[in-house]
Amino acid sequence: MRWEVLALALIVGAANWGFRYLPIRFGLGSGAEGGMLGRFLASVGPAAIATLFVASSLPFVAGGAVLAPGLGTAAVVAVWLWRRSVVLATLAGAVAYAAGVALAG
Amino acid sequence: MDAQGEETFTAGLITALPIGLGYFPIAFAFGVAATGAGFSGWEAAALSVIIYAGASQFLALALLTSGAALPVAAFTLIAMNLRHVLYGPALMKAAGEGAGKRHAWAWAWGLTDEVFGAALGEIARGKRFSEAGMFGLGLLPYAAWVGGTVAGALAGGGALDGWPVLEAGLSFLLPALFLALLLSILTRPQMPVIAVAGLACVGGTMAVSATAGILGGMVAGALAGVVRRGRG
Repeated sequence: MRWEVLALALIVGAANWGFRYLPIRFGLGSGAEGGMLGRFLASVGPAAIATLFVASSLPFVAGGAVLAPGLGTAAVVAVWLWRRSVVLATLAGAVAYAAGVALAG
Repeated sequence: MDAQGEETFTAGLITALPIGLGYFPIAFAFGVAATGAGFSGWEAAALSVIIYAGASQFLALALLTSGAALPVAAFTLIAMNLRHVLYGPALMKAAGEGAGKRHAWAWAWGLTDEVFGAALGEIARGKRFSEAGMFGLGLLPYAAWVGGTVAGALAGGGALDGWPVLEAGLSFLLPALFLALLLSILTRPQMPVIAVAGLACVGGTMAVSATAGILGGMVAGALAGVVRRGRG
């Protein structure tokens, strides 16, 4: 194994661990109820999920296909409304998208 | 153990199932790309075990193969993952007072974008936060990520070429997961936050880069929440 690969992995991995753990360890944001920081942190979750949904969907939109992404999205929404299960809705979306690709192909 | 709606280790594992299913093919693609770029299987596996952050690992391949200086490559990759600083505090705030964090040094390692979203979704659906649940949520995706990388490195290029429909379905798992998570936390008061985050993500991605779009979307959406609640 080349030393520069291992060194880069260790540096970046250590930073990732610090980013994920240290704010919890030192209670960053605790006691901020009602304040600006508290309101900011309460909104981070919905903002992050919305952002990651858009970011992960953009390549499919940019690809120009309509049928498969449309079927996949409809299946996620329909199964969510039916069963209120994230697991089932996700799997249904993937199956419907694959079916859409097969139909379009 | 589940009588009061606490997220158990097993429940965490089940909740993490679609994340693991989504991670495996992406990690598989990473393993294929790494070996295709001249990295050994051990090097590909080490990047997944030690870094455990998808987009920055793909970028690491590009930086290392282009001969970027180590400090430049490290700084770039670290900047990409800066958003993770926000996840722990946001999760602990949602978990409420007295939420355990004794073993956070271990389970926080698994706090990726998707695991963070799934943990928040569970809390939004009334499950009580627990460290055991966080271990369950984090373990399967990490195993899938490392396992997928190793499988991809062993398989080499073109392993999924004969299965295009399967490959397509797997590629849609992550957007489907995020949409399901979004539906699980959707409330009318959150609509401005979600709309601003989505629009800022599109704008940032088109104007600068995907990384800028993600960071910009999160910050803009959270700031929208500050303004909205400040007025409320």
